[in-house]
Amino acid sequence: MAIPVEEAIAALSTFSLEDEQPDVQGLAVLLSSERYATNSPIEYSDVAAYRLSLGEDTKAINQLNTLIQEGKEMASLLYTYRSCVKALPQLPDSMKHSQADLYLETYQVLDLEMSRLREIQRWQASAASKLAADMQRFSRPERLVNGPTITHFWSMLKLLDVLVQLDHLKNAKASIPNDFSWYKRTFTQVSTQWQDTDTMREELDDLQIFLSTRWAILLNLHAEMFRTNTVEDILQVLIVFCVESLELDFALLFPERHTLLRVLPVLVVLATSSEKESESLYKRVKMNRLLNIFKRHYLILNHMGTIRAEHDDFSIRFASAMNQMIILKSSDGADNDWSRDIKGNMYDIVVEGFQLLSRWTGRIWEQCAWKFSRPCKEPPSDSQHGSTTFFDYEKVVRWNYTGEERRALLELIGYIKSIGLMMQRCDTLVSEALWETIHMEVQDFVQDKLDTMLRTTFRKKKDLSRILSDMRTLSADWMANTSKGDPEHNSLETEEMRQSTFYPRPVAPTAAQIHCLQFLICELVSGGNMRKPGGLFGNSGSGIPVEDLKQLETFFYKLSFFLHILDYTATIGTLTDLGFLWFREFYLESSRVIQFPIECSLPWMLVEHVTETQDAGLLESVLIPFDLYNDSAQHALTCLKQRFLYDEIEAEVDLSFDLLVEKLNEIIFTYYKSCAASTLLDSSFTYLCDDGEKYFVKPLRFDAIFKLRRVMVLGRTIDLRSLITQRMNKLFRENIDFLLERFESGDLCGVVELQQLLDILELTHQSISKFLELDSYSLMLSEMQENLSLVSYSSRISSQIWNEMQTDFLPNFILCNTTQRFVRSLKGTHHSSQRSSASTGKAYFYCGSHDLTMAYQGISGLYRDFFGIPHMFAVVKLLGSRSLPGIIRALLDHISSKITAMVPKITALQEALPKSIGLLSFDGGIAGCQKIVHEILTWEAKSEVKTEVLHDLKEIGSALYWMSLLDIVLRQIDTTQFMQSAPWLGLIPGNDGQVKHAYSDNTPFTTLLSAATNAVASSPACPNPSSFLVMAKQAEAASDLVEISTGLLYKSNLNSGSVLEYALAFTSAALDRHYSKWSATPKTGFIDITTSKDFYRVFSGLQYSYLEESINPSRKQEMLGDSVAWAGCTIMYLLGQQQHFELFDFSYQFLNVAEVENATVSLYQYSDRNKSPNFLQGYEGILEAMRKARRLNNHVFSMLRARCPLEDKIACAIKPSGAPLHRMKFTNTVSAFETLPQRAT
Amino acid sequence: MARAGGHGMGNPVNVGIAVQADWENREFISNISLNVRRLFDFLLRFEATTKSKLASLNEKLDILERKLEVLEVQVSSATTNPSVFN
Repeated sequence: MAIPVEEAIAALSTFSLEDEQPDVQGLAVLLSSERYATNSPIEYSDVAAYRLSLGEDTKAINQLNTLIQEGKEMASLLYTYRSCVKALPQLPDSMKHSQADLYLETYQVLDLEMSRLREIQRWQASAASKLAADMQRFSRPERLVNGPTITHFWSMLKLLDVLVQLDHLKNAKASIPNDFSWYKRTFTQVSTQWQDTDTMREELDDLQIFLSTRWAILLNLHAEMFRTNTVEDILQVLIVFCVESLELDFALLFPERHTLLRVLPVLVVLATSSEKESESLYKRVKMNRLLNIFKRHYLILNHMGTIRAEHDDFSIRFASAMNQMIILKSSDGADNDWSRDIKGNMYDIVVEGFQLLSRWTGRIWEQCAWKFSRPCKEPPSDSQHGSTTFFDYEKVVRWNYTGEERRALLELIGYIKSIGLMMQRCDTLVSEALWETIHMEVQDFVQDKLDTMLRTTFRKKKDLSRILSDMRTLSADWMANTSKGDPEHNSLETEEMRQSTFYPRPVAPTAAQIHCLQFLICELVSGGNMRKPGGLFGNSGSGIPVEDLKQLETFFYKLSFFLHILDYTATIGTLTDLGFLWFREFYLESSRVIQFPIECSLPWMLVEHVTETQDAGLLESVLIPFDLYNDSAQHALTCLKQRFLYDEIEAEVDLSFDLLVEKLNEIIFTYYKSCAASTLLDSSFTYLCDDGEKYFVKPLRFDAIFKLRRVMVLGRTIDLRSLITQRMNKLFRENIDFLLERFESGDLCGVVELQQLLDILELTHQSISKFLELDSYSLMLSEMQENLSLVSYSSRISSQIWNEMQTDFLPNFILCNTTQRFVRSLKGTHHSSQRSSASTGKAYFYCGSHDLTMAYQGISGLYRDFFGIPHMFAVVKLLGSRSLPGIIRALLDHISSKITAMVPKITALQEALPKSIGLLSFDGGIAGCQKIVHEILTWEAKSEVKTEVLHDLKEIGSALYWMSLLDIVLRQIDTTQFMQSAPWLGLIPGNDGQVKHAYSDNTPFTTLLSAATNAVASSPACPNPSSFLVMAKQAEAASDLVEISTGLLYKSNLNSGSVLEYALAFTSAALDRHYSKWSATPKTGFIDITTSKDFYRVFSGLQYSYLEESINPSRKQEMLGDSVAWAGCTIMYLLGQQQHFELFDFSYQFLNVAEVENATVSLYQYSDRNKSPNFLQGYEGILEAMRKARRLNNHVFSMLRARCPLEDKIACAIKPSGAPLHRMKFTNTVSAFETLPQRAT
Repeated sequence: MARAGGHGMGNPVNVGIAVQADWENREFISNISLNVRRLFDFLLRFEATTKSKLASLNEKLDILERKLEVLEVQVSSATTNPSVFN
């Protein structure tokens, strides 16, 4: 290829890889191979090339490393061992004959497991003997071979560590001896048929001893080591090495430090097996030094302040170092010093980052161990958890972390993961700089510093200077130093020339080079004798000056850092791996359960902590615990190599992710709902409220969560945003359904509450829609209302409203004309008792927070016991123009059918009246009148019919009044709408109260449109005016259309018919059918004043008897309210009997009589005022009721005259000849109303 | 004290030359491996961002699909009752 690699790679960066997703997760995927620089990738086979006679040492290192690897596998085998016995089947009695087969099968199963244990036994024996042999070989005072090197030390310590761990695991596993005894039993059963089982039996006994002896592995190691009593020297050396490394914090990574901490006590125990030896040890290492190492503060909570500051400081500095690297990269030919500074700075920051990560992760490990060793004494007696027994695991984990500690832990994990991610991101960007810096450090030391030392301190010391020149030979890169082509002449160069002459080469030293350099430095300072008192660099016996020693020491420690930095990715992986927080095999075994419930799991506890506290600062960390699952799954697969553990983790992750999404949805929904409810609450009210603050919602941010389109969980990529959207859509539907159901289980008065709650829901939808692509609210509403169909006019709400009206509202509610309200009558008990009591939904189905829900319930409580104008507003708003006609139609039909049903009853009542009824006579006074009326009204036998008629009238009246309320509300809404649209249409009020146009040609709306298009078209910034001109023309045309349509839409509304008038016309048409029955045409052609056939007579009688009964306290008469009068008056008015009624009504006549009498009495009283007036005594009540009734009737009649004028019709009722025509044929018939939709049946 | 092995480097010059050659070879290897890693890194990022973009596209399609579904239901409700429109 003609294109250089660098250029091709650089070209890749021109791709736009922008991504909206915020980093709220750690590294979810790590690709790292097993062998990296810290563990020479070619097993130190290149060490031989440097001719340092380290062959024996290298061989030993490789052997130990292999053992470590094997040992780790053994340890994971042992750790993940689970008892088989529990799974073994028992034979039922009926199958006892095949017991032998079962034994054989069991034996075969167990044999497989036991062979693994046998393998461990064999392995530990060989490992112990090899380790002991190795130690002995390298601790001979006469030093036949070179070594041990530092790498060798580490291998020894690590192998020892593996053995210690293995022993601990073996001790902890109670199930193994248990399984073994089963195995042995089956073996005795099975082996009876075999021959020659002695060796097997012996082996079995061996294994039994191994398994049942505590510390068998360490005891064995001890025995192996002291077989030839020569290892205590190297043990002491190792102890000193450990202590020094720990004290100087020499180990960069926490796993190494933990290895040292684990091994140190064992080493001390091994080294102090006799009095004399312990004396010699404590002479070298004081007891206090050992004790101090283990003194620490283990709770993260106590360090949180420092950690937070460190994190903030580091992340800023790291980012700025990164920026400088990017600038450096983009500026070619930058000068050397500057670039070296930046790269050196980057290196320092990376080292610091590793140190921080190591310290933090180490803290988590330590806190974890601390918690395990200190279970909480008494789990909180939670009322929800009735059970008094707790798993041990719950004691050490679930109840052992306080809320604060969980928070701190989560925060720290978040820091670790985010820093790890940040560092890993720039892996390829910084690696060159790191290599260069390391290369330079090494070259600077071997070329410059060693040169100086060679020329000064070591000039006289032949042996030591040979070591120094060996160091130079094996690692110097002379070509990189342009001024020194030849090492032979370097002594001739001057100081000045040696400065600033390195040519940076981005290549790092190999593991073998570092290994050899460390070895040589050790040789140099210790002179090959490690048993000297004091530490590695602490002795001055070697005769090396202090400054040189200091330089050597610094370089020595730097070397051990280099390898970890070269293993950039692997190191980050190790340092950010927190998978151990999930594992709990030990407690599973001790608790004898297969798995713990999810509440006990630490990662889930952290998730739960976030969702429960709803801490705004933690919300974005809610996915961090899933990184723990990722880590533990990775650990289960790659280190423990156990599929079943992975399956368990996967199952838990599946569950917890589902739970998280659900909880998250609830939190988000509740939050936005509370916000909406709080916004819609009257602000002046909350301002005046003493505890108004509780109605404000604490702000939360979900932006980051809404942007998560790819969450990495166990290798899967999950689109969290779409999941949330999906569930949110579902939640909205559920909520609508819940509100509708609630409405359906209550009565009609609940309509205000329904509307309130739906308003809140709509606002919630609006605010969430700013972030998520939700389904449109209106579509969801109509879907849940079941009126998605284009041809359906009914909906759940409308059918519920009609249903309620028919079965509850019309029969059971009574009207109060003064307050314009319907209230429930005493007798009309609601059927709610039979209804399913409204299911109490979750808080977020109401108003979010509890306080807001209570506030809204308080408000809606005011509307719960009546039906009036507010309810009608709610009805109109909920039904909209689509379903409202259906209700109107149904109501009109109801009126019509009620009238029809009333006809025979009225006839029956008519028949009971005398043929002719005259005027009441004034002679008898009030009492006389009453008597006459009673004589006329002989309905005692028909009291049932009477009641029925009254009820029918009441329903018709209620329906008509309902219509009038509806009319008022519709008018008001129309007017508001008109007021809002009028300025845009250029409509202004004229002199005579008429509407007139302010502008002759254009409305303000069209003017605005054309002005906007002109402004756009004429703007110089407009790139393409011609296309805008076309657009402007189109806009003009469109605005013309708009004008027409708005005119049609809004102006026409003004003159639209009134619902009430329509209803009255309809009623009138319905009455026409029964006209002949209710209105007797006078035979004479003139008004017949004595007839009893007219409807008004019946109503008059009904009204009279009703009034009489209503004032009678002894008979508890059912109250019917004012709607009877409404119905009666309307019917009479529409039948043209208003005047008849006003003249001949019994009550009216009664009142007239009373008035006359009163006048007489008052005259009489005037002459003799001392006498108390007792003429009217006993009649005040009825008279008052009658007056009231008259006032009401007058009100209704006046309303009717205004809304349904009959004057023209009456005028027509006079023939041209002058003869009155009593009834004109009305033009409106029922069939004229067919345009209204039929109610769906 | 003399080094125990006492062998030392047989011929320091030869070793020096070999080391020098090794440095140069390894520079080439590092260069190649770094660029391979960069390529790999690019692929990872490309995959991640592409996934995001596809997810947002998917979201849009999803919305359209659901809207279409609603419209279809509405239309079908209309076409099954043709009498209403006559």
